[in-house]
Amino acid sequence: MAIKIDALKCTGCMACEMACGYHRDDGFALLSSCIVAYRTKEKKDYFGVLLKREEDLLIARPEGTEIKRIGETEETPAAGKQQDASAKPMLLREACDLCEEMDLGPMCIKFCPFDAISED
Amino acid sequence: MEYLSANKILVVDLASAEVTDDELSDELVGEKIGGAAVAKHLYEQHADGDPIVIGTGLLTGTLFPAAAAGVITAKSPVTGKISHCPITLKVGLEIQYSGFDYIVIKGKSPEPAFLWIHDGVADISSAADVWGKNVWETTDTWRKAMGDDLIQTIVIGKAGEDQSDLAQVCYNYWASGDRWGFGKNFGAKNLKGLAFRGMGLLEMADAEEFVELALDVLEEVKEGEFVSKKGIGDICTAIGESDINAWLAPIVHRHSACYNTPYATNTFVFLDEDAKKLTEPEHPEPGFLITDIFGLIGFKKIGLSAVEAGNLLKACAKYGIDAAAVAELSLATGKKTLAEIQGSFATLVGAVTRPGSGIFSPWCPNQPLFGKFDDAGDDPTAWWERRMAVASIFGIHPILAVMSPEITEDDLLEIATVGTEVEFSQDTLDNAVNYLLK
Repeated sequence: MAIKIDALKCTGCMACEMACGYHRDDGFALLSSCIVAYRTKEKKDYFGVLLKREEDLLIARPEGTEIKRIGETEETPAAGKQQDASAKPMLLREACDLCEEMDLGPMCIKFCPFDAISED
Repeated sequence: MEYLSANKILVVDLASAEVTDDELSDELVGEKIGGAAVAKHLYEQHADGDPIVIGTGLLTGTLFPAAAAGVITAKSPVTGKISHCPITLKVGLEIQYSGFDYIVIKGKSPEPAFLWIHDGVADISSAADVWGKNVWETTDTWRKAMGDDLIQTIVIGKAGEDQSDLAQVCYNYWASGDRWGFGKNFGAKNLKGLAFRGMGLLEMADAEEFVELALDVLEEVKEGEFVSKKGIGDICTAIGESDINAWLAPIVHRHSACYNTPYATNTFVFLDEDAKKLTEPEHPEPGFLITDIFGLIGFKKIGLSAVEAGNLLKACAKYGIDAAAVAELSLATGKKTLAEIQGSFATLVGAVTRPGSGIFSPWCPNQPLFGKFDDAGDDPTAWWERRMAVASIFGIHPILAVMSPEITEDDLLEIATVGTEVEFSQDTLDNAVNYLLK
């Protein structure tokens, strides 16, 4: 099973990020989430979702989903694409484990109010 | 207060530059619960300093559906009443994790200042470099200075600095629910605004039970009447302004939601690029996020095109002026063009309609939206005031509160008790609501 993200359904509400944070910290916090609503381009209304997986980074942009090897976003950003500041700490976070030890999991799927995240 | 709390009330005296913090006591939470009720209590406690109180609801920033809202409580310079303005978008969330539950700001700074609040630290900093700058420039300046584009701001523009009765505090770049002239309160204190960033942790007394209850409510909410609707246009339709949607549609880019809110109450319109474009815009400021239902409706009634209305809403937000009031006064005085209206910001005065009793912001429609509320029929005004009071105590997005009957007082009391180990009864809530409404 894997996580699938439909960035066009996403409204940037960050519920997934908080749900993942709860899985990591047993409380509400955002620092350890492996799924993040990127929102640094607020004035451009350009937002989507980043998911850190074991081997790569899933980047759900409005125009489509992209998969990058870990480190690629920092070291070799795709031509013409500006780096996203929120991508940097992702490299320091634990990868998605699909909330394997939780009865409710994956928490990001359960708590997305817009069903933008699903099982693939 | 051990759970769902940073256990800190920040008290800032701008006159003396003294910053202190108090604990948030279990007794106060047990009596007033949170949000606007605690903020009003703190307002009264510090009334001699003409305070502005900023706070979060008991559930703000949690996984309970629509737990997005914070609150600004102050005496409105236009009504003379202690009033409350919801804090939306991601600003309430950021306050919750910045290390303080409530912030009391009293006194007047001798020089322009702003508060930089981050990870349990509060600094009074000089705003000399941004005094005179508009809302957008100020947020950009602070984000750049702190090196963090995720900093959330509450900020005034020229209208607040000039202490206009129509001055509105803005959130980051966008309009807020401040229909009370709180921007004038900020200006009178020489307070340009606040910047928030935090990486805090909220603990719960029974985390597992809390999360399961939140999920149960979310699943019910997702079955609600509003699920097929989105954006500000559908809200306009629900309140009888059905021609807004088609008028706005050509420039709608995307809809976005406030933190963990199951309805996208905000609509971004592109004014300088193709709205259907999905890739990152080339223009650094291609449009505007519409968060103000009645400002939008008002500008349409004047006869502006959707693009003109979007540009005027953007101009209002940069200037930090209440767009709904601008629309009402412009209509009354026969101003019809974008240039004419924008040119009148500095001199615009007059009485403005503010439905309700002057306690909760009429920025939120005063009727049920989409959903059917069994108790809304007999006395719609009383129903709305109570719904606003309850939402403001727990930190629920006010628009979701009038949209989702699935979010009940019983749900809120139960999850609050599970989260905090404080026994909240219906009597506790009734007392807190009555305290707000008296």
